[in-house]
Amino acid sequence: MDIEKIEKKALSELEKLDSLDEVKKFEKKYLGNGGKVSEVFKSISKAPEKKRADLGKKANSLKNRLGKGIERKQKELRESAKKEMKRSFDVTLPGKETGLGHIHPLTSVLRSLCNIFEGMGFSVVRGPDIENSWYNFDALNFPKEHPARDMQDTLFIKQEEDLPSEERLLMRTHTSPVQIRYMEKNQPPVKIVVPGRVYRNETTDASHEINFYQLEGLMVDREISVANFKAVITSLIDKFFTGDVDVRLRPSFFPFTEPSFEVDMSCTVCNQEGCSVCSQTGWIEVLGAGMVHPNVLKNSGLNPKNWQGFAFGMGIDRMAMIKYGIEDVRLFYSGDLRFLNQF
Amino acid sequence: MKFSYNWLNSFFKEDLPQPEKLAEKLMMHFFEVEGVEKKGDDFLLDIDILPSRASDCFSHLGVAGEIAVILEKKVNFPEIESDDGDLESVKVEVENNHLCPRYVLRVIDGIKVGETPEFIKKRLEICGLQSVNNIVDITNYVMLEMGQPLHSFDGEKIAEDKIIVRNAEPGEKIETLDDDKYKLDESVLVIADEEKPIGIAGIKGGKGSEVEEETSLIYLEAANFEAKTIRRTSKKLKLRTDASARFEQGLDPELAEKASKRAAQLFEEYAGGKTVGRVDFYPQKRKPGKLKLSLSNLKSVLGTDIDKARVKSILKRLRLNPKVENDSVKVTVPTGRNDLQLEEDLIEEVGRVYGYENIDPKVPRAALTGPETNYDIFWEDRARDVFKSLGYNEVYNYSFINVKTKKLFGFNDNLIEMENPVSKEYQFLRPSLIPGLIKNVKDNEKKFRNINIFEIGKVFGKENEEKRKLSGLKTTDFRDLKGDMDVLLERLGVGKASYKTIKNKKSFWSPELAEIKVKQETVGLVGKISKDFLKGMKIESQIFLFQIDMDQLAALASEKKQYERISRFPTAVRDLSALVPKRINYEEFVSVAENAGGELLVDVDLFDLYEGEKIPEEKKNFGIRLFFQAEDKTLSKEEINELLEKIISTLEKKSGWEVRKK
Repeated sequence: MDIEKIEKKALSELEKLDSLDEVKKFEKKYLGNGGKVSEVFKSISKAPEKKRADLGKKANSLKNRLGKGIERKQKELRESAKKEMKRSFDVTLPGKETGLGHIHPLTSVLRSLCNIFEGMGFSVVRGPDIENSWYNFDALNFPKEHPARDMQDTLFIKQEEDLPSEERLLMRTHTSPVQIRYMEKNQPPVKIVVPGRVYRNETTDASHEINFYQLEGLMVDREISVANFKAVITSLIDKFFTGDVDVRLRPSFFPFTEPSFEVDMSCTVCNQEGCSVCSQTGWIEVLGAGMVHPNVLKNSGLNPKNWQGFAFGMGIDRMAMIKYGIEDVRLFYSGDLRFLNQF
Repeated sequence: MKFSYNWLNSFFKEDLPQPEKLAEKLMMHFFEVEGVEKKGDDFLLDIDILPSRASDCFSHLGVAGEIAVILEKKVNFPEIESDDGDLESVKVEVENNHLCPRYVLRVIDGIKVGETPEFIKKRLEICGLQSVNNIVDITNYVMLEMGQPLHSFDGEKIAEDKIIVRNAEPGEKIETLDDDKYKLDESVLVIADEEKPIGIAGIKGGKGSEVEEETSLIYLEAANFEAKTIRRTSKKLKLRTDASARFEQGLDPELAEKASKRAAQLFEEYAGGKTVGRVDFYPQKRKPGKLKLSLSNLKSVLGTDIDKARVKSILKRLRLNPKVENDSVKVTVPTGRNDLQLEEDLIEEVGRVYGYENIDPKVPRAALTGPETNYDIFWEDRARDVFKSLGYNEVYNYSFINVKTKKLFGFNDNLIEMENPVSKEYQFLRPSLIPGLIKNVKDNEKKFRNINIFEIGKVFGKENEEKRKLSGLKTTDFRDLKGDMDVLLERLGVGKASYKTIKNKKSFWSPELAEIKVKQETVGLVGKISKDFLKGMKIESQIFLFQIDMDQLAALASEKKQYERISRFPTAVRDLSALVPKRINYEEFVSVAENAGGELLVDVDLFDLYEGEKIPEEKKNFGIRLFFQAEDKTLSKEEINELLEKIISTLEKKSGWEVRKK
């Protein structure tokens, strides 16, 4: 038995250990009862007499050195554990926010709608908030006696002069005037969406505001059809609400479209089981639309025999309310940071 | 409008689908049903009849007709033919037949005013009408059934047996059945006898000629009035009735005689009356219209091919008497359908009856041209993103301000005022985003320690001009805000701005106010809101605020970026601090250092600004860090020191400036 060899092997083994448990096992293996060192002592008794003293000395020194090595290793490990403790931190402490700001939810909704339309080749254009009656009503085929022209629905601007009715200035009640303004200046094919603030003379409550946002859409070409509208609007709603949303068209009436429809989408809140958002019907009305009325094309300087297309208008506030589950439209204009911080 | 399900059902031989199912069908092919409500053994259907069909569908018979079209059924209602003789003894005189195209006066004698039969009472009640007596109820019943308003006069009370339809005399007065008194003018059409007005045409009957318990002779009016006149009068007198709601939609004059005869039949059956005869003033009979529908246009607009026979069957059910000729269908438009005037109107009829749900979506074919970028929106969005990154919240405020705000902020001239503001709160269009933002601080300062907000929106000025503005504020510190301005301008590719102190324009600003200038152009203002002003508004925070003209900013903004080679040679850094008189501003100070440093001085940072006890009272101390770098070599210690000395000596040449080298 080569005691030196045993020692060399043991020490190199000890060096590689990196936990106190392992060191304990090591100690038992070498210095414990029936361990390697006791085997060495046992073997001495079998050795020739004259070698016994020398072997005994060597064995004792092996025992000592291993003992010291173990002590040293234990100390080393304890210290490094202490250091580790000092360096460590509590991962459950709350994080510190870096103070990013927030974009208004209506901006986000408008952006995402415009992005979807731009992806389909629609240009985003805008128009003035102060309009005259011609663009807001007459050109859009509103009859002279239409109730929307009443003071109780539309905000008029105080003017000194007594102007012809078509020149009366008002706060636009919808984004549709931009249809006319755009087609006056641009020959078809026309593919636009128009975001913007609109105004109504309205008593405010949870679902009515005096100013709110609309997105108008207009596509005019030689053969644009109801079927095309269905494809465009289905794609929009699918993308905006990121899911499999059903869309349906119902007959309706607007002066500036013929045929006219109301567009409903399946309620994403309750999956059509019936809830307060969809008034238990499973459907949510999201926009009004139709095929551009020939008089509107005429009033924009286009020949209705050559051109046709669809137009639609949706309430952005309403879209945002559905998307985020907001129950009161007035929150959008409240400047309340407790609200805005959520977006 | 309210409809009785049982009443609708009574027009059909076989039962209609259950109310909910029927509502669903109407919804998909006619108009929205806003509610279905059980009422005893009947159901109330609330159908939103839109203006296009108000002239023929403000009636059970009209809606039954639509149900018949949609469900492919037949309406069971007897054709009403009149064989009543013309009367000579009673006269009807219409002054302007444009305002009253038809006036049927039927005389019924032997009337016994009394109880109304139960089924009529019930149907009226479902539709929200109270039972009065058999005469009033029957006229109301026929109105709800056929859509024609009727009025009964007590024949004994009509002076000279003559009904005159004329414009009111200026100042003429009338007392209506409800005891309300009205003063009329020439725009109001009245029904009169030889002595006085006995009713406001198409709106309400007058007191004095009404049917009473002992009435036995009835003059039954079934007339047609011009829609516009009725609408205007109803609005002017603020008097809206079931009758005016129908007349102002424009009724079919053909309906008048039919409804009159129908009511007379009911009077005979349920009020013991006997028709004596009638007078029918109808100088210009309305004729059915003609229209043509091209099948290829139908296909092109709907985007689907509907079988010719199907189109014909739909039009036939709509009672349009279609005649197919090659590619087109000629139709006859009944007098009651004045909504059908163009080919597009027919396309809609076919489309809705066929069902929009049966049209498959088709992706439009279009040239592969991308959208045009809207740079106005592009730069607004870029600005929003910058402010978001800088920790600002975007707010939206109202476009209106009240008179108090106008005075407080000193917006005196040329504000745009609303003729009919929603309330006094919203009287003027905002000329600035600032009042809204300051109010946001007031509303939020109790809940949030630091407030950083901005808004991009339109403001309105003289000559009805609209401008886009970008405005924002911080409650921490002016240099923070100015740093944010620099980041904004850099990120929008506008470049470096200079800030020029100006005299404050409005009292809400503190005296320290600067114009933001880019390439000689003033694009905005940055400053502090005056302490006294905030105190007046009971705001505790301090407010540092900017406003920028968004149009100008967008015009200056650029996406162009030019890579600049990064110098391979190290940058040397030296600090120095200088005591200067208090009146010297930083820009003045640093420009002296920069000029002296020349090209090799690539950057200067202000790291310390001190005013206080440790230095003379009339002085302030700037601590700046100087960065030296060359393009083509490593600067030696000697070169740097030489430059530094030059800068120091230049600074010290200024009187009262003293450099303390570090």
